Amino acid sequence: MLEAHSYLLGENALVIALNTDKPSPSEQRRLFALTVSLQHSDAFLDIVPAKASVTAYLADPSQYNYWLKKAMLLWEESEEVAFNVKTHHIDVTYGAAQGPDLLDVATRLNLSPKQVVQLHSECTYQVEFLGFLPGFAYLGTLPQILQLPRKSTPRKQVPKGAVAIAEDLSAIYPSSSPGGWHLLGHCANTLFDPTINPPSLFAPGDKVIFIPNKEGIC
Amino acid sequence: MLKVTKQGVMTSIQDIGRFGFRHYGVCRSGALDPFAVCLANMLLDNPPHQAVIEVTIGLAEFEFTKPCNFALTGGCLNAKLANKPIYPGWRYYAQAGDKLSFATSANAQRAYFTVQGGFVAIESILSSYSTDLQASFGGYRGRALEQGDNLEFEHGSAALAPLGVKQPEYTKQVRVLKGPHCDKLPSGTFEQLVNNPWTVSETSNRMGARLNGPSLLNHDVSIATQAVHPGVIQIPPSGEPIVLLNDCQTTGGYPIAATVIDADLRMFSQLGANQQCHFIECDLAQALKASDKLSAHLAQFNLAKNNNN
Repeated sequence: MLEAHSYLLGENALVIALNTDKPSPSEQRRLFALTVSLQHSDAFLDIVPAKASVTAYLADPSQYNYWLKKAMLLWEESEEVAFNVKTHHIDVTYGAAQGPDLLDVATRLNLSPKQVVQLHSECTYQVEFLGFLPGFAYLGTLPQILQLPRKSTPRKQVPKGAVAIAEDLSAIYPSSSPGGWHLLGHCANTLFDPTINPPSLFAPGDKVIFIPNKEGIC
Repeated sequence: MLKVTKQGVMTSIQDIGRFGFRHYGVCRSGALDPFAVCLANMLLDNPPHQAVIEVTIGLAEFEFTKPCNFALTGGCLNAKLANKPIYPGWRYYAQAGDKLSFATSANAQRAYFTVQGGFVAIESILSSYSTDLQASFGGYRGRALEQGDNLEFEHGSAALAPLGVKQPEYTKQVRVLKGPHCDKLPSGTFEQLVNNPWTVSETSNRMGARLNGPSLLNHDVSIATQAVHPGVIQIPPSGEPIVLLNDCQTTGGYPIAATVIDADLRMFSQLGANQQCHFIECDLAQALKASDKLSAHLAQFNLAKNNNN
């Protein structure tokens, strides 16, 4: 059975989608590799990876037939190791005013705040894709033991730099915005600056490691 | 200088949109009618993708502090120059001190105008002049225009000869292509979408047109988050379709029942709250032909204009 299929969304969005909503780490790496091979062509205006798909926007929609087939060939050929990843080390101040939900998360998970910080910062995350806000990266995968649903009532204002978790993901808010994720800590990095190119610190496929700062819980 | 004397309901700097940064979560932004952007610029011999002002609903007023050629396109918001009615699809000459005002209209929502040579202080950010109103960058200081703002333009040249262009009609019939998740949604969802009239809700904005209809398309289908773009028609579980527009997020997790064809997405620039629209199914060949027809319209105008010069 094929693991993926391709279709046209509208007139110019070529979608290569996995046949599962929950890709394995190896399938995810192959999606990144596919993204990189598509980037080598100048046929696209935008190439957008997501949870279980890559969407490439054709500059010339009349080329769709060729690309529907070609993209599947590229997927078949995509090798897991075909791209270089950047690793970001992010200094995080956990707890207190910087991480107002840390205590509540620890209580709900029956852990100490220290254990939550340790579990959150001892694994390496990968940028699955960006969305929601410019520079907002969905970081997978959060250790199972830390997984919680989103807050039932979203905050009206989550501050810029908030380090948060929800479901099987972690994220950093690149700008202040409403948000329903649990806030564990804060970082001082600029994640999105439209005056530089690329404007986003994180790109799809990058690795992220959180380092607890001595000023917070660690 | 162009002085904003009344900001109106929503007035912002836009162009045909921001491309190439969607994988960083940067939305397209841009005029809801990119065709009107090209026509306004072409009327003035500006590059077609220069910045224009998008006036939403109306009630805005501007003052020219020096003489200037400008062009007006888009919907008819009963604009006046120095108290005399002016019409979309034409270029005009303003004298120093002239006021350009926009009233409102039951049949139109958005007008576009720009000046000869463009607005010199508006810089391109991430390859576009458009204002990203959510992320607060681009356009004029990353925000909607406000009373008291001043937009610089080149010193006005002599008055250009009058010139007009036929604008393609705005209709309430919108052609769509069938979407990828119709077989996951309850059967008949797409048919109900195209067979029923839909009313634009008051909560609609530049991110999306929310629609109410006689029957709701509610469901409990979830899909993996995937890339979305302006024109995508999402069906949230509540069953009220959302037509994504230029300020929409780059990814979405609601099933997609249809997409508005590129040539017809501009209809949503003029559909106001409580107005009805109808979706008509078409195929890919018809969609591409409709886009070609709009491109041909621009090419013909360019040719006619150059022959007249």
